[in-house]
Amino acid sequence: MSAVLLIAIPLLVAFVSILSKKLAPWLLLATPIANLVLLFLVPTGIVVIGGFQPPFGISLLLDTYSFIALFAVNALVFVIGLLNVKEYHQFSSILLVALAGLNGLILTNDLFNLFVFLEIAGIAAYLIAASNKKPASVFHYLVLGAVGSSFYLFGLIILYAMFGTLNMVDMIEKINAATVSASALILPFFLMFVGLGVEAKLLPFNSWVKGVLGSSNTMSGPMFASVYAVTVSFVFGRLLNNLFAFQGNLLVVVVAILLLGIALGEAMAFSSKKAREILLYSSIAQASVVILLFVNGLVLWGALLAVANAVSKFVLFYVVTKAQKEVGCDDLDSLQGMFQGNYVVGVAFSVAALSVIGIPLFAGFVLKLGYLTELAANANWLAIAVILVASLVEGIYYVRMLVKLWYPGEKEVKVSFGNVATVVIALAAALLLVFGVYRGPIDNLDNTIDSVSEVIDLG
Amino acid sequence: MANLELLLLIVLGTGLVAYLLTKVNQFLGSVFTIAATTFAFVSLAAYGFNGGLDTTVQWIPWLSFSVTNLGFFFAIIIVFVYLMVSFFHPYFLDHYKYPSVYNMLFLWSLAGVLGTFFTENTIQLFFFFEFIVWTSMFLIPMGKSKKAAVSYYGFSAAGSFAMLFGILVMANVSGSYGLSTGLAALTGSGKEALVFVLFLIAGFAKLGAFPFHIWLPEAHGNAPHPFSPVLSGALVKLGAFVAVFALIRIAPFSVTIDAIALPVAQWIVAILGSLSIVFGTLMAIREDDAKKLLAYSSMSHGGYILVAFSLLDSVAFAGGFYHILAHALASAGAFMAIAAVARQTGTTKMSELGGLIHKMPVTYIVYLVAIISMAGIPPMGGFISKWLIFQAVLNKGMVLVTIAVFFGSIGSFLYVFRPLAALFLGQWITKYDGQVKEAPLLMMIPMLIITALNVYTGVFPDWLLGVTNGVITDLGYPALQVAVAAPFTLNGYYGTLAPAIISLVFAVGVVVAAIIFFVLKKSRKVTLMDTYTAANFVHNEELLHYTKDFYAPLERLYEKYTTKMRDFYNALAYKVKEVGQLAKYLFMSKFAEVALFWTILILIFLLWGEF
Repeated sequence: MSAVLLIAIPLLVAFVSILSKKLAPWLLLATPIANLVLLFLVPTGIVVIGGFQPPFGISLLLDTYSFIALFAVNALVFVIGLLNVKEYHQFSSILLVALAGLNGLILTNDLFNLFVFLEIAGIAAYLIAASNKKPASVFHYLVLGAVGSSFYLFGLIILYAMFGTLNMVDMIEKINAATVSASALILPFFLMFVGLGVEAKLLPFNSWVKGVLGSSNTMSGPMFASVYAVTVSFVFGRLLNNLFAFQGNLLVVVVAILLLGIALGEAMAFSSKKAREILLYSSIAQASVVILLFVNGLVLWGALLAVANAVSKFVLFYVVTKAQKEVGCDDLDSLQGMFQGNYVVGVAFSVAALSVIGIPLFAGFVLKLGYLTELAANANWLAIAVILVASLVEGIYYVRMLVKLWYPGEKEVKVSFGNVATVVIALAAALLLVFGVYRGPIDNLDNTIDSVSEVIDLG
Repeated sequence: MANLELLLLIVLGTGLVAYLLTKVNQFLGSVFTIAATTFAFVSLAAYGFNGGLDTTVQWIPWLSFSVTNLGFFFAIIIVFVYLMVSFFHPYFLDHYKYPSVYNMLFLWSLAGVLGTFFTENTIQLFFFFEFIVWTSMFLIPMGKSKKAAVSYYGFSAAGSFAMLFGILVMANVSGSYGLSTGLAALTGSGKEALVFVLFLIAGFAKLGAFPFHIWLPEAHGNAPHPFSPVLSGALVKLGAFVAVFALIRIAPFSVTIDAIALPVAQWIVAILGSLSIVFGTLMAIREDDAKKLLAYSSMSHGGYILVAFSLLDSVAFAGGFYHILAHALASAGAFMAIAAVARQTGTTKMSELGGLIHKMPVTYIVYLVAIISMAGIPPMGGFISKWLIFQAVLNKGMVLVTIAVFFGSIGSFLYVFRPLAALFLGQWITKYDGQVKEAPLLMMIPMLIITALNVYTGVFPDWLLGVTNGVITDLGYPALQVAVAAPFTLNGYYGTLAPAIISLVFAVGVVVAAIIFFVLKKSRKVTLMDTYTAANFVHNEELLHYTKDFYAPLERLYEKYTTKMRDFYNALAYKVKEVGQLAKYLFMSKFAEVALFWTILILIFLLWGEF
């Protein structure tokens, strides 16, 4: 048993699933489950592939950090597959490829290999985006995605030329040992930052999000807003925390980009009237918050926030895209009162929204308080102020949205979610509620994550 | 139940039970809500007054409780208002979209109150502060307006986020999340001014004081009728709670204005409080909706509370704390009376009502007593508190503030009597013929209790002043002298007050008036349409309603300026929208080249001068 199976199985099954259209949806559901089981069986640590001892060859790294991400991604892909298995069965193979790429992104310990998985996940993403039936926006995404990964590759090549290694742990050691001036690292680091920033939806590099998520459906919406978002956040976190030693001008520029992303993301959401647009701009702001936490070295909080956002955004996007499909429009005004006959879905949606705002009793509150107190301990007042003002704006538009969706307007809106979806959404919301009051596991994780990142630092 | 943790958990649990019971039967669920609220109040009252509340924590490890006189004072008042209002539930729930949720959130917000006031931990304070905000926020849109909930949330959240920022700064200075240690550690840290301002933003926003008053008329005016008394009588007092910490426990600047022996910061707050009093009064005068009128009156009373606590003086503190109590009782009474009227007639617009005294005499008395207290006329509680505040302000020699507090008092005569005249007196509006009768008995009980307390607080303030004295000595100031010269008198700076004797005089006056009323011939009743003007019959009752444009000449003086603050906040929201649209235009273009352009621009900026 090796962690490489987590990548190999979905990739293999993806090819197998092409052979049988009937079997493909079942394979799509079985694979993530198998992966989840495997995840608990395989040993943690560095996995050497092909017998090449690191730093040569490709190696994978499974630790608590990647464990959390793998668990979240596989579970979410299963759930999204389950909810869309009827309507989007022809996308089964693509979702499996995506799963392989995403698992690889999380696991890999090799920077070039990371680029390969970025491309695999990217190709799957373009195809998933194609399910929106908006070719122009997919093309836009394709162009930006290609530019992003080339930037990443360009940055990586410079690093390789400087240090002669692609292994992440080895690279970290070499960078720490070498006496390279910080300004020499600006270009490669920033290029790689942009490359990942495109996928992570950071502000100036993310214009694809509007076209793709703004017209997303019940499959592509949750896939991009939660599965891809959580994966890229974790990858970003890994690199930010171990590889990128941002300092001087680069640090200032990166922090400025992120703070602007938070503020403008919320402002853009505030100025939107369509449900999906509001959610997508909100997730731009949230992504910036997560990355900002990683930049500040708050790995645990960044990781947990990414997972919590993935769960809430899954609920929010699924509900909104489903309603859009049935009503034919996602203007908030035309969805007024849609929770009237759907109490369970309505409550779950409200819980997810309140958790994103960071309101007590829900997971988002524990996290927000957690990272704000950490930022305060570092006396990072500017970040706290921006986050709080942004949360205020965020709260206002979410409350406006919730009130509209609960109380009917002139026209009666009927949306039926089906039993499976209702149960799944309710469970996701219950998770947010449970972790909003019970913080034992978070305190435990605090220790394990720290120790593992120390291991990486030591090599 | 002496254990606070258990009490809190039980109230949370009863919320769920109330939800289920209300689903089955609305009346049953509402009666259960009454029982649950009663349980909370009785527990607090039975154990709290003799210091018997148990703060041990057993089930939820991150909770910690601590009982202070200050916290208990606020908690008991607020829980009392909750208790009184719960009696209204059986008669109102059928009007609301989600009645079972209404009972549940009502009880949950009550649980939030228990958590907020009985803690030393600032994070817990913030937790329950926010908890109250969201539970009460979902109750508001069940009333008339959906927008009201949004502005309520916006201002409340602005307040609580400011408080959170203050808490974080304080924790950074002191290294712990204890409230007392944090406040103590601020002295000399250089961060006093920041925390002071942040806490006061929270206080002003929750209290609905100028310049954060916009949400008051929106939320109070449009909330469900039985929830308006909770908002106005109870929840705005959260702001006073935070303001007390800031004003009394933090000394932001060392500069003191010698003439009035007051630090500059406190003086500024006193001026802002005065502005709240003046603006609240002026806005209330021109309001047609009785509930919105009372909301503006809450704003003006918030100003009194701020002025009182900014004076740093025992008499003023006694006045401030007593005013919190008196206003809670008075505004709860007034809002409940209006709620009773609204239930029977379906409107709160003054121009659509009249002559209700004939059908609802008890409600009339309740409202009358409440507004007498609000206007600060003996023999009601509001008189005692205002008397103390006047004494303190005069003693300090603060001219502008003195003018404002007197203006507010006289102004409140002008506005609180208008709903009285419009709703209850005047001529009977014929369209309500046969529809309206006195409020049901269960609603009468809390209204009468509150009326009795309004009178009690005005006639025998001694015991309650003893309670507030406990709070004042806790804060490190000498207690107000009560009953030194003779029993039932209080000493201010200028003379002593004997409320019982004043009340006796009033009582005699009332008796004489009653005798005259009953002995003399009854007046003949005519309907409103029994008239004509300029030889023409008028067919619209509303035009003849004598409260229509009642203070038109006065209003004309300032009506141009009444929307300024609202415009400001609308403009602010609009600006945020514009920034959002600009950002969309700049960054969210449908051309991929634009993103590339920004990337390269940043890259050039980064590498400028490096190579």
